[in-house]
Amino acid sequence: MFTEVKTHLKLILKYFTFNLSALTEYRTSFLVQVFGMALNNASFAFFWWVLFDRLGTGIGGYGFTDVMFLWAVASTGFGLSHVFFANANRISGMIITGELDTYLLQPKNPLINSISARMSVTAWGDVIYGIVLMALIKASGMMWVMFGISIFTAALLITSIAVAGHSLTFYFGNMEAVGRTLWEFTITFSIYPETIFKGPVKALIMTAVPIGFITHVPLRLVRNFSWGTLLLLFGVTLAYALFAFILYMKGLRKYESGNLIVTRM
Amino acid sequence: MGKYLSIAGISIKNSLVYRASVTGRVVFYFVFIFVFFSLWSMIYSGNEIAGYSLVQMIWYVCMTELVVFCSGSEIFGRMNHEVKSGEIAYRLLRPWNYIFMQFADMLGSMAFSASVFTVMAVLLGFVFAGPIQGFNPASVPLIVISFVLSITMNFFICMSLGLLAFYFEENSPFYFIYQKLLFVFGMLLPIEFLPIWTQGILRYLPFSLITWGPARMVVNFSYEYAFEIIPMQAAWCVFSVLLAMFVFSRGVRKVNVHGG
Amino acid sequence: MAAIVLENLSKTYRVKVRGEGLKNAIKSLVRPDYREVEAVRNISFSVNEGEMLAFIGPNGAGKSTTIKMLTGILHPTGGSMNVLGYNPVKDRRRLSYNIGAVFGQKSQLSFHLPPVDSFRLLSSVYEIEKSAYESRLKRLADLLELNEFLDTPVRKLSLGQRVRCEFAASLLHAPKILFLDEPTIGLDVVVKHRIRDLIIKLNKEENTTVFLTSHDAGDVENLCRRAIVIDHGTVALDMPVKKLKYDYLNKKVVSLKLNESAGIPEPPGVELIKKTPYAVKFSVDTRIAPISKILAMLDAGNIADITIEEPPMEDIIEAIYMGKREGG
Repeated sequence: MFTEVKTHLKLILKYFTFNLSALTEYRTSFLVQVFGMALNNASFAFFWWVLFDRLGTGIGGYGFTDVMFLWAVASTGFGLSHVFFANANRISGMIITGELDTYLLQPKNPLINSISARMSVTAWGDVIYGIVLMALIKASGMMWVMFGISIFTAALLITSIAVAGHSLTFYFGNMEAVGRTLWEFTITFSIYPETIFKGPVKALIMTAVPIGFITHVPLRLVRNFSWGTLLLLFGVTLAYALFAFILYMKGLRKYESGNLIVTRM
Repeated sequence: MGKYLSIAGISIKNSLVYRASVTGRVVFYFVFIFVFFSLWSMIYSGNEIAGYSLVQMIWYVCMTELVVFCSGSEIFGRMNHEVKSGEIAYRLLRPWNYIFMQFADMLGSMAFSASVFTVMAVLLGFVFAGPIQGFNPASVPLIVISFVLSITMNFFICMSLGLLAFYFEENSPFYFIYQKLLFVFGMLLPIEFLPIWTQGILRYLPFSLITWGPARMVVNFSYEYAFEIIPMQAAWCVFSVLLAMFVFSRGVRKVNVHGG
Repeated sequence: MAAIVLENLSKTYRVKVRGEGLKNAIKSLVRPDYREVEAVRNISFSVNEGEMLAFIGPNGAGKSTTIKMLTGILHPTGGSMNVLGYNPVKDRRRLSYNIGAVFGQKSQLSFHLPPVDSFRLLSSVYEIEKSAYESRLKRLADLLELNEFLDTPVRKLSLGQRVRCEFAASLLHAPKILFLDEPTIGLDVVVKHRIRDLIIKLNKEENTTVFLTSHDAGDVENLCRRAIVIDHGTVALDMPVKKLKYDYLNKKVVSLKLNESAGIPEPPGVELIKKTPYAVKFSVDTRIAPISKILAMLDAGNIADITIEEPPMEDIIEAIYMGKREGG
C-alpha cells in the first residue's frame, strides 16, 4: 500500500517535470495564456469591487476581502488541480474515444496515470492569480496560513469532483456534459459567499458534492479557527478522493474502449 | 439560400442527438440563475439599486444569460480547430460561402436549445421574481429583434476571433478578453452600476449592446431606448459580418502561401 | 510452452440504437434503446512462446476486441484467458510489464516533444533502471535507425519515422509478447520491410512472441508461420500460413510482354484475363497446373518481360468466406 502510493506520487512528479519541459517549448503561448487566465479572474474581482462599492455595505456578513479570499483559494486550488491533473476533466472523452487504452497498457493505476499525463497551460495563470490576489488584498497572517493549507485540499476536492462526475460515463454512456457541468458548478458555488445559499442547496454542497469545503470552510477557519473544523476539512477531502477513486475503478470494469458506438438501423 | 436552409435543417437534427449536452447546459443555466437569485435576494431589502428593483435585477440576469447560452460561442473553438488542423482547406472546396454556411449551421444547432432556454428564462423569471411591473406585450417584437441582433453580432465576433488562428499560434487570449468584456460590461451587472462617465461610452460598444442592450429592454422598456439601441446593434452586426469576411479572406490566402 | 491461452472467450457490447429521422431522434432523447452485439463468441486457441501468429479477418470481425482483452484493456463477458501465466483481468499491471503493443492509430509519443523525452518518461512509467534503459534505447535506436531524429519533435517526423519510434516506445521494457494491430498501415514499402526485419530479429534474438493483425498479405507471409482467421467473432480457420497459401493462394497472375504477337497455350487451370498484340495477362490455378509446367510451355525466346503476382490478402480472405459459406 505504502509503496503503491510512493510509486504513484513519483509518477505524478515525473509527469509534472515532463510537461513543464514541454511548456518551455512554447514560452510565448504559455505567457499569453497565463495572462489571459489572470485577466479572466480579474474581471470577477472587478464585478465584486463595483458591487461592494455601489452597496457601501457587506453582503451577508462578507466584506470585499472575504470574497477575494474565496476567490484566491478557488483560483489557486483550481489551478493546481489543472497543473497536476488536467486530464481529470477529459475522462469522459478518454473513455469514449478509447484514449484510455494507452494508459491501460501501462503498469500503473490507470486513473492516476491518465489524469496526471497532461498539464493545463492556462492553469498556471490561475495559480499565480490567487497568490497575487492574496498579496493585493493585504491578507492577514491567518489568511495566508489557511490559504497555504486549503489550496491543496481545494485542488484535491476539485479533482475528485471531476473524477466522480466523469466516471459516470462508464456507467451511463457519454456523461461528458454532466461532468463538465458539475465541474462548472464546483467553481461557481465556491466563489460566492456561503451565506447566500440556504436550505437543501447548502446541505448538498456540504455533503454529497462537498463544494463547500473548497473555499467556504477555509474561510470559516480564517474567521473562527478550530482544530475540529480543520480535521473535518482533511477528513472530508480524503474521503471524497477515495470515493471518486473507487467509483472510477469500479466503472473501469465496464470500459468498452471506443466501442460505445451509436448505430443507425 | 436553399443550401443554407438545409444545412440548418441537418444541424437541428444533429443537435437533438446531444441530449446530454443540452440537458447539462439547461441545468447549468438553472444553477447560474439560482446563484444570482440567492445573491440578489441577500443584497436587496425592498430598495432599488442603480435604478433596478429586485424583480428587474433577476429578470435582467435571466435575460443576459439567455443571450450567452444561446449565442453559439463554440464557433470560436470550432474555427480555431478547423484552421489549426487544416480541415478548413477541405471545406473551401465546397460550393458555399464558408462564413454563412457556419452561420446557418449555428442557427440550426441553436434552434432547439434556444427554444428550450427561452422557455427556461421566462419560467425562471416568473418563479424567482414574478411578473415585471408595467411590462408591455407590444414591446415583444422589438425585444426579439434586439435578441436576434445580439446573437448574430456575438456569433460573427467570436468567429472572427477564432479565425485569428490564421495569424496567431495562440488566439485564445483574444477570446478570453472578449468574453470578459462581455462579462464585466453588462452580463452580471447592468452598466448603470458603473460610474456615469463609463456608461456614456459603453452604450455604444458591442459588449454592452450584446448583453445589457436586450436585457434592459425586457426589464425596463421604452420606445426611445429601443430606437436608440436597435440601430446601434444593427450597425455592429454589419460591422462584425464584414470583419469576419475580412479576417477569413485574408487568412485563407495565408493558408495557400504556407501550403506551397 | 504456451504464452497465450484462450478458452471460450466472449465479449458482448451494449450498443445504443437509434432509428432514422427526427421522430426517432427525439425518442432516443427520452428513452434510448439498447442492443447487444456479440463482438467475440467463444473463441479458443493458444499461442506458443516465440511463435509469430497472424490474426486476420475483415473489419469488425473481433480482432481488436480480442487483442484488447488479451492486453487487459477490456474485460471479457465470458470464458477465460491466460497470458504468460497471468489473468489479464486480475493481473493487468503485472502483465503489462511483460507485454508491448503497437496499435496502428494510437500514439504513445508526445506530439510536441522529441521522442527521446517520451522514451525517458516511459522508462519511469515502466520503472526501468537508468543503465538498463540507456543500453536498451541504444540497441533499439541502432536496430530501428532512430539516431538521426531522436531529438526532433515528433510533429516534425515523417509517418515512417513516427512508427519506428512507436515500436521503440513499445519495446523499451523488453516485452515477452508484442501485440501488433495493423502496425504497417499506411507505410511505404521500404519502411514496411524495415519494420518486418525488426520483428524477425526480435523474435530470433529475444524469442519475442508476436501477435499480429494486418491487412497486408506481405506482413502475414513474411512474418508468420501460423494464421488464425476470425469472422463474426468466431475462429473460421486455424492453419499454417503455408497451407493457407496452398489452399487459398493457389492463384497466380502472370503478365507477359511479347516481342512478337503470339497466342499462349491454354491447358486446364489457365484462364486468359486480357490480351493485346504484345501483352498477355492470365491466371494460373497452381493446384491444376503447376506454375513451372506453364512456364515451360511458353516460347521463352519471344518473352520480353514477365511478372508473376499473388492476389492481395483481401481476396484471400474473401475466398475463405466464399468457400465457407458455400460449404456450410
